[in-house]
Amino acid sequence: MSSGTEAPSRRQSHQSGGSAPSLRIKSLAALLVNQIAAGEVVERPASIVKELLDNALDAGAMRIVIEIEAGGVDLLRVTDDGVGIAPEDLALALAPHATSKIFESADLDHIGTFGFRGEALASIASVSRLSIRSRPRDEESAYTIEAAGEVLSEQRPESGPIGTCVTVRDLFFNTPARRKFLRTSQTEQGHCLETARTLAMAHSHVGFTVRIDGRERLNLPAGQSPKQRVVAILGEELAPRLIEVHADEFDDARGLALWGLAGLPELARPTLKGQHVFVNGRPIRDRTIQHAIQEAYRGLIEPSRKPTAVLMLEMAPAAVDVNVHPAKAEVRFRDSGLVHSVVHRALREALLRADLTPKWPGQDRGGFREFGSDRSPGPAGQLGSGSGGSVSAAAFADSFKQAVGGPDARIDYDALRSAMGQHVPEPSQEVGPIPVARPADRVLQVHKSYLVTQDEQGVVIVDQHALHERVMFEQIMQRLQSGVFESQRLLTPAVVSAPAQRVERLADLTPLFEKLGVEAAPLGPDTIAVHAFPTFLFDKGVDPSEFLSDLLEQAETDGFPSSSEEALHEIVDMMACKAAVKAGDRLTEQELAELVSMRSRYERASNCPHGRPTSIRLSIRDLERQFGRT
Amino acid sequence: MKVICDRAALLDAVNLMASIAPARSPKPQLSCVHLCATKDGDAGRLTLTATDAEVSLRLTTLNVDVNKPGEALVNAQKLQQIVAAEDAEATLTIEVDGDQIEVRGADAKFRVFGFPPAEFPPAPEFLDADDPRAGKIFTVQAASLETLVGRTLFATARETSRYAINGVLLSLKGKKLELVATDGRRLALARGHAEASADTEIACIIPSKAMQMASKLIDDPDENIRVAITDNQVIFGFNADAGEPRAVLASALVEGAFPPYEDVIPTDQDKRAVFDAAALRSGVRRAALLTNEESRGVRMNFTNNDGNSLRVSSRAPEMGEAEIDVNVDSYDGDAIEIGFNPTFLIDALKVVDEPQVVIEMKAPNKPGLIKAGADFVYVVMPVSLQ
Ligand SMILES: Nc1ncnc2c1ncn2[C@@H]1O[C@H](COP(=O)(O)OP(=O)(O)O)[C@@H](O)[C@H]1O
Ligand SMILES: [Mg+2]
Repeated sequence: MSSGTEAPSRRQSHQSGGSAPSLRIKSLAALLVNQIAAGEVVERPASIVKELLDNALDAGAMRIVIEIEAGGVDLLRVTDDGVGIAPEDLALALAPHATSKIFESADLDHIGTFGFRGEALASIASVSRLSIRSRPRDEESAYTIEAAGEVLSEQRPESGPIGTCVTVRDLFFNTPARRKFLRTSQTEQGHCLETARTLAMAHSHVGFTVRIDGRERLNLPAGQSPKQRVVAILGEELAPRLIEVHADEFDDARGLALWGLAGLPELARPTLKGQHVFVNGRPIRDRTIQHAIQEAYRGLIEPSRKPTAVLMLEMAPAAVDVNVHPAKAEVRFRDSGLVHSVVHRALREALLRADLTPKWPGQDRGGFREFGSDRSPGPAGQLGSGSGGSVSAAAFADSFKQAVGGPDARIDYDALRSAMGQHVPEPSQEVGPIPVARPADRVLQVHKSYLVTQDEQGVVIVDQHALHERVMFEQIMQRLQSGVFESQRLLTPAVVSAPAQRVERLADLTPLFEKLGVEAAPLGPDTIAVHAFPTFLFDKGVDPSEFLSDLLEQAETDGFPSSSEEALHEIVDMMACKAAVKAGDRLTEQELAELVSMRSRYERASNCPHGRPTSIRLSIRDLERQFGRT
Repeated sequence: MKVICDRAALLDAVNLMASIAPARSPKPQLSCVHLCATKDGDAGRLTLTATDAEVSLRLTTLNVDVNKPGEALVNAQKLQQIVAAEDAEATLTIEVDGDQIEVRGADAKFRVFGFPPAEFPPAPEFLDADDPRAGKIFTVQAASLETLVGRTLFATARETSRYAINGVLLSLKGKKLELVATDGRRLALARGHAEASADTEIACIIPSKAMQMASKLIDDPDENIRVAITDNQVIFGFNADAGEPRAVLASALVEGAFPPYEDVIPTDQDKRAVFDAAALRSGVRRAALLTNEESRGVRMNFTNNDGNSLRVSSRAPEMGEAEIDVNVDSYDGDAIEIGFNPTFLIDALKVVDEPQVVIEMKAPNKPGLIKAGADFVYVVMPVSLQ
């Protein structure tokens, strides 16, 4: 290994006196070990930021300053005002597997600190020039220790404030191969900043400052409330689009408390970047929780999009194993079922309570931008152009499409399960439907596609197909709970020709079809006969063979769910879509009024099952602003 | 061209023309009515023709004075509006000057820009019966055709879809004429008579729209209608006895195969109820009051223990329920409970003028059969009951 031969030649001048040759051999071996460990812990500058911040937070810091130069390769420095390290422990802090946080292996079962392996500093020191200056509260002065590769200096006194300052220079100086893998300093510093922002979210009481190449890029005061902190990081302009989420299940040992902010469906994004999940203040990625979040937004967003959500879970340290991932980014829950249900239910309740009507984009266009890691928070991060000129209808529609995404969709998990006969406590019934305004007196149909009406907040524009589809979907799901659908038999079977593999797919769907009033059976290797079809679909002019052939085609695709619950949703989804009025259908005045009044009667009417919004609102305030009255 | 027309007769004609000519068309000539005035000695006649892509209609009125024979092509809607608005006039004068058409009343003069008459597609020819191109021909009495259409047309599918047969099957074997219509859930068959050569056999599907128009064109129940079927067209000639028919309706035929309707009509029903038609109609109608989208069907309970009876009941979730007892004249067979869409029953019972109807059944998931006399058969598929 080249780094092993390179390191001694780069030895620092202030190294400790002459080491015995035998010791040197030993330290070389130790260096190798640490460098290997560093491969796991110190992937890139951002991982060092993460480890150093963990240490500062473990030390009870109230203020943390992070400095980054040249992407973190030249310099990374984290200064805190925490408990500090006693001078006699400084060398120990750098020793591998030396930690003040765990004493016996039983402690591993209930880790309450962020660090616990005692390997971070040693690993970092093995691939950089590291110095620690620290001053505990009861110490007159600070002490500094320096390390580079395997070489450790003697600690020496130095003036400095209470707390610890860890400086990492020349990252990967002795492992040039690793250095090559780093991206541009722009990218690396972006990751560092993102790491700081993420950790800062979970520690609202701690002040965070990030300076990159001398410029302040993040400044969060100490003592913020969790909400203030999250909003400060996500961007103030998102505040009106975030819903507070709570759950408290601390009644037994498996206790679990949840607090968070969930974004309106319109804030969903193509990636998981908008999701921040913390367990006991530790940022984690967890599939169970991701799934619970996705399920809660079922039907409100296109399924390929990811909701924006910041969730903080608190649970007894014994209920979660954090020692499963080198960067501690993954955890293992003792009761992941409980975690799933608490997260899912809390989000769903919050969403049901919320007014999900997207806001007029002119009101606050910042909200339709994606908030990126490189954007500074606070007023500078907002778009100040909200009051500007008029927004054309097309641009308006486009911005919604962008914000919400294209068609495609899934649904609502609980209704589904109860529809399948399993009783699941239905939170929506406890919280009641979304408050929606009284039906407006007059409804205007525009271009045979959109309905314009009012509620007490302003003008509401409804997509007639999307809303009707949503309503149909809810009605069908509701009816399913009261039993099998009424079904009309056909005089002669409607014949559908379909490739053999689709005909085979039919058998899986047959039990669901029975509930839905569809009776279909293979007629030959590549034909299917429909014998009976739901009366209400006939009423809506849905053609049985067309429905069957479309459905089987979809059932063949990879995206089609294999579980019968979800498949039922797919089918109902298609029924709703086909049965709903289409864009271009002229509606009578009565039908218009009826449709708009349904908006208030069905929960979550503001998004069609495909995840597109069913209606948008232009508030009186927006109008006043657009007309320059304010 | 210059004609003086009886306004009332002209209005009847232009009303029909305006109902055929499409209001908007990529070629404005196709939204027009074609006028042709001819004179045969003293007798003048005005022929009006309009068409959409499928159906074309030619009407001839004799209530005109032709001062100068000629042709014109003018927007059908506009002409209809003018003739309708001139309601104080007994007669209107139509005079053509180049492409301009002038319509005059006592105090009014309308000048409408028209199109060169040659730009209108040629009207369907009404050929003599012995012309080899005339196709298969039969004659039916107007009243009979009206009944047949009335007893079947309602059962056609309203929406155009792949699955629905948007037309009425016309079948003729010798003198036996049948019309059959279905929307896949019920099927109506009406029988009647026609005059044709003994070996005539016809089976074709006539678009609902043409069938409806044919029925609307009937004026005098006793007049004869001559029907000619070619490979792709049907041509109805109204009042065909008097040489030149007063109206000629031509339509493209619906391509495709009609379901094998004879197989659909069940022959092994083992339960049979006879009703007073009006009583059954009223019972079903009342039970239908408490159905809704969610529960469309009415439940029919036929029993034979303590006297024959039928109980028709309905239940609309969140709305209510109804129970109607209907007197049954006679009932043969075991008790049965079967569900039907009441609209389908009422549709059929509405077109029955016989005092009695028969319902035959076999099982709750098998078709029901309604018969009235020998000339009306109606198959209706049940709905599942919840
Ligand atoms: N900022 C700090 N303030 C106080 N003590 C610290 C700080 N950073 C590191 N230490 C001490 O150094 C030890 C080793 O740190 P580290 O290598 O990160 O291991 P771990 O955090 O897993 O214990 C910690 O246990 C702690 O006692
Ligand atoms: Mg640590």
